[in-house]
Amino acid sequence: MVRRGGPLSKSYDRNKKLIAAFLAIVFLFVVGHFIVPNFLSLNQILITVKLASFIALFSLCQMIVMAAGGAGLDLSVGYTATMTAIFTASIMNGRNENLWLAILVALGFGLAVGFSNGFLSAYLKLPSLVVTLAMSQILQGIINVYTAGALITGKPSPVLQIVAAKSTGTFPNIIFLLILVTAVVMVLLYRTKWGATLFGVGENETAAYLSGVNTRRVRTIAFIMSGTLASLIGLLLLGNMGVAFKDMGSDYVLPSIAAAVVGGVSLSGGDGNYIGVILGAILLQALLNLLVALGWGDAGKWVGFGIVLYALLAAYVSNRRGR
Amino acid sequence: MKPTNTRRLASLVSMVVRPEYSSLLILVVMVAIAAALQRNFFQGPSLLLTIDAFGPLILLTMGQAVVMVTGLFDLSSGAALSLYTCILTYVMRTDQPATGIAAILITFVAAVAVGIINGFGAGYLRVSPVVVTFATSFLWLGIGLFLRPTPGGQSVNWFNAFYDLRNVDGMPSFLKSVSSVVPPVLILILVGCLFWYFLSKARTGRYLYAVGGNEESAYRSGIDTARVQIIAYVINSVFIFLAALFFVGQNQSGDARFGDPFTLRTIASAVVGGIALTGGRGSIFFAIVGALIINLVNKIIFFANIPYAYGTLVAGVIVIVAIGGAQLYSAYGKRAASKGRVQR
Repeated sequence: MVRRGGPLSKSYDRNKKLIAAFLAIVFLFVVGHFIVPNFLSLNQILITVKLASFIALFSLCQMIVMAAGGAGLDLSVGYTATMTAIFTASIMNGRNENLWLAILVALGFGLAVGFSNGFLSAYLKLPSLVVTLAMSQILQGIINVYTAGALITGKPSPVLQIVAAKSTGTFPNIIFLLILVTAVVMVLLYRTKWGATLFGVGENETAAYLSGVNTRRVRTIAFIMSGTLASLIGLLLLGNMGVAFKDMGSDYVLPSIAAAVVGGVSLSGGDGNYIGVILGAILLQALLNLLVALGWGDAGKWVGFGIVLYALLAAYVSNRRGR
Repeated sequence: MKPTNTRRLASLVSMVVRPEYSSLLILVVMVAIAAALQRNFFQGPSLLLTIDAFGPLILLTMGQAVVMVTGLFDLSSGAALSLYTCILTYVMRTDQPATGIAAILITFVAAVAVGIINGFGAGYLRVSPVVVTFATSFLWLGIGLFLRPTPGGQSVNWFNAFYDLRNVDGMPSFLKSVSSVVPPVLILILVGCLFWYFLSKARTGRYLYAVGGNEESAYRSGIDTARVQIIAYVINSVFIFLAALFFVGQNQSGDARFGDPFTLRTIASAVVGGIALTGGRGSIFFAIVGALIINLVNKIIFFANIPYAYGTLVAGVIVIVAIGGAQLYSAYGKRAASKGRVQR
């Protein structure tokens, strides 16, 4: 027994959701192993983690927006990434020397999308889900117009392919990138003033405002960071797939939110641990692998993700009244 | 200016800036533009086509408006619409007219269940309604794909009655001639309006507004807010069900993905019709005006010969402009109204 209030109990309370996510991942892999041979092998685990890395990176966008509070979420991350991938593919055209230009375009583009989202939801006080959903529709519209007039051409630069698709030994390179990103995020959110401000606005907007924080600007910056990150992830997606196509990013939106919720990020803001989010992403990817292995395809994937997210909201986010 | 004039002007300003009346004004302008662009706009056959094209969004918007008045959102309404068309065409068999009845009953039960699941999450579990319905929208999509992986399915012939009585075999010629004047979708909308009219007169209708205006005080004054929110989602679901009847009547098939673009348009329509984004304010009947305006904007853009590929882009921009504009407008209206009060 762990003594209540003791140091071990405290750390258990803080990491309850992480432990739950980890146990669920183990459970899924064990169940998968009984159904599909070789489900529980190092190779399979590494492939799962590699695919989960993309979900985890998209979840970072959600986590930053969610941390800023106001029930914020960014539904436009999928099409932001898709659009960047489509336009930078033709810029890079398979050459390394054009990578810098592609990164600049991605940054500028992500900045513009993020700023529009942030301005509309923070300054005009429109619900962020409606704004970002409309934004993703606009981006999808731009992609439709572009692909109606021209073919999607081009290839990612080799460097990008090495980072996103290739492995060093048995370890996919994207895992190293994810570790690097995690370190940067942990420092940025927990060791800098900016991180404290972001969580402060999410935790209690009024208090943050009264202590002199420009809360609207903080929220807008959160959306700008989300948009810019999503745009850069578009480059990685392109590097992983080798070609750009119309719906390459849109399937990541729901998992990115679900992973953040699994990881214990509070929808009401002011809270969030990126390690948990990564575990959440791995959990969802393992679930997806299992559903695919069972041959349930597209329908099973969406039903499965939908049920998981609903159940998680009920278990983690619910603010049920005591009666 | 004499003080009386100032007061009259102030009251005029505050009347015009009330979202309801300004949306009526916009509607008149839109109809004028549409009539100028399309010569035969007011002639029988083309008016019938227009009503058939506008009907579904009106039904869906009324449902969304009920939900928004209660302080909630439904991001799953398009997906639910698709799901109902899938269930209807999954159950029906073209050669067995009786299966139509079964399909309607089963789908209605499903619609109530959909409303309850949405309402349970938002009302009882008290999770942000946008997030709950975002999650459930994928649930409806997945179930729809299970039933109907590709668009298609069967429908009984008499389902045409929800779209055009003239296509129904064995329909008396008297009723067929009625259909050329009053399209069935208008009757569906009328049914919806009557349903809402009686509901809004009952206690439940007032509870919806009370919960939307201030959930906490509604709860403290003894209203079972969770139940009211579940009821709001069920009402919405019934409106979506009516729209699904129309679509299956029209297309005689189901599709798990076709409804998605409707979701945002219903929210934009409701907001243009004066439903407050924060809940508690607005009239369901004026939401119809909002749906008409959004429909007319699409029609006018269609007449401006914009290529088909621009459709999604234009729809997205309209939503942002409509919602942002309405928000700025109501902020301006509040300021104008408070100015009028100061001068008095």
